[in-house]
Amino acid sequence: MAEHSRFLALLAVAVAAFALVPRLGGDYAIGVALNLLMWIALTQSWVVLSAMTGYVSLGHAVFFGAGAYAMVLCFGSLPFWLSVIVAGAATGLLALLVGYPCLRVRGPYFVILTFGLAELVKFVVINVEAALGQFGRLLFGGPGLAQIFYVVLVLAAVSVIVTWFVRRSRFGAGLRAIRENEEAAETLGIDVARYKVLAFALSAIVPGMVGAAMVLRTTYFEPLDLFNPITSFTIVSIAIIGGGDDVPGPVYGALFLVLMQELLWANWPEVYMILLGGLLVAFVLGVPDGIHGRVAAWRKARG
Amino acid sequence: MSLLELKGVGRRFGGVVAVDAMDMTVDEGEILGLMGANGAGKTTLFALIAGNLRPSAGEIRFRGRRIDGLRPDRVNRLGIARAFQIVRPFAGLSVLENVAVASLFGAGRERSIRRAEENAFEVLEEVGLSDRARDPAGTLTLAGRKRLEIARALATRPRLLLLDEVMAGLTPVEVSEALQMVLTLKERHGLTIVVIEHVMRALMRLCERLVVLHHGVRIAEGAPDEIAADPRVIEAYLGRARE
Ligand SMILES: Nc1ncnc2c1ncn2[C@@H]1O[C@H](COP(=O)(O)OP(=O)(O)OP(=O)(O)O)[C@@H](O)[C@H]1O
Ligand SMILES: [Mg+2]
Repeated sequence: MAEHSRFLALLAVAVAAFALVPRLGGDYAIGVALNLLMWIALTQSWVVLSAMTGYVSLGHAVFFGAGAYAMVLCFGSLPFWLSVIVAGAATGLLALLVGYPCLRVRGPYFVILTFGLAELVKFVVINVEAALGQFGRLLFGGPGLAQIFYVVLVLAAVSVIVTWFVRRSRFGAGLRAIRENEEAAETLGIDVARYKVLAFALSAIVPGMVGAAMVLRTTYFEPLDLFNPITSFTIVSIAIIGGGDDVPGPVYGALFLVLMQELLWANWPEVYMILLGGLLVAFVLGVPDGIHGRVAAWRKARG
Repeated sequence: MSLLELKGVGRRFGGVVAVDAMDMTVDEGEILGLMGANGAGKTTLFALIAGNLRPSAGEIRFRGRRIDGLRPDRVNRLGIARAFQIVRPFAGLSVLENVAVASLFGAGRERSIRRAEENAFEVLEEVGLSDRARDPAGTLTLAGRKRLEIARALATRPRLLLLDEVMAGLTPVEVSEALQMVLTLKERHGLTIVVIEHVMRALMRLCERLVVLHHGVRIAEGAPDEIAADPRVIEAYLGRARE
């Protein structure tokens, strides 16, 4: 219980500090913090599915994009916050629908399937838009940057809380058992099919809501950007660099990535991708437990 | 009434008949031994009972209720636990976490993590693994992993325990310890047990009744000394040695 109180206190301090950013900083600072919060929210959600069950999704951009699309369809008829909730419900439902067939395959097949699914949904949306005679929608009169920022801050906090409590729950114990050995898990009484689908749905809701909020940052809806597979790759990269199946990993990973983006993207954009790729290889081979694993080992050694 | 009852249970893999029209009963409170040469179909029979495989023929009843075709998690919740021949530890989790998961699910379905860990620790003490509780399960030796299989199965609070060669690969001293442990666990938890073993000494010590499988067919059943003298059994084993 002391562990929970310490966590919640730390989270409250972090949220309060971030909440000051729009008051104290300019648009640039808000943009950087927003970017950081977005990646934290997306990667925490991914961890609930992929780090805990071992079913690695390479298609989480589908939920980001689908949430954005839900926002586009609601735009103008529902209030901003309500549209965000609708988007989360829609992507959770989407995951429930596709989860059962997808989660029947394991390992590399699941990875490819999630990637394929994301591409499939992207092209469906593009074609639906074309059939509707829409070629890129303009979204005028949406919320301001600060408002988007606060929504994403809340979503990041929610995603952190979800990961924390799932990781320490009976449900989370079941998910981690599935990751370690699925046949043993089901023989010990775990309803593996149901648990996997629930984890999938749970990991889809926040990304849908984040997509819904982020699409309004620009005033233009472009499916190719919102269903960009780079988003999925980045989530997996952050999770690998951060390491582990708990809250700290995505936070370390996202901090690291955003720092890299700020240092390199602006000055040497051509080196950025090379360096990111190189780092990823280095982490997979040399630091498989990620920054979180190293920090934990260092703390343990220090006593 | 018998606790477990198999009637005409069969399973084929393509052309291979692994288990053929098997009839078998297990009575409440007994330790039944299952023996047979390699490939006789013993493990397949456990997989059919535990729900890991569906039978292609026949029916299985547990406490009078049909369980064939049920998923493994359902079967386990009804009170049947299986320790795998090829151990399947949750290698990345600690020894304690391995057993706590079993306590959280299984037939016991403990709701609180803390109580599940307490249960798990007690079970680990019973199987002699409590001093390794905090270590990753992947660091255990084979003997340790076999004990972990038993501990996990036990932590699901079963009535019927299926032990598949939990003594294979152990030293004679470890076998003696394991035998004593199984007998103690049975008494303490009021278990009914089916054991698969190749070690005849172990079966003699544990069981009052043995069933012998050969090419998926039950060729003999009886007390250990009857079985040891049964010509069909001797032929099945010696026949294999000559191959
Ligand atoms: N999943 C499977 N697919 C195909 N054939 C299988 C499968 N499982 C078992 N078999 C075959 O069924 C037969 C029985 O195998 P099983 O593992 O049940 O034997 P066993 O009595 O447990 O042997 P051992 O003493 O070596 O453990 C063997 O011929 C085996 O090759
Ligand atoms: Mg076997």
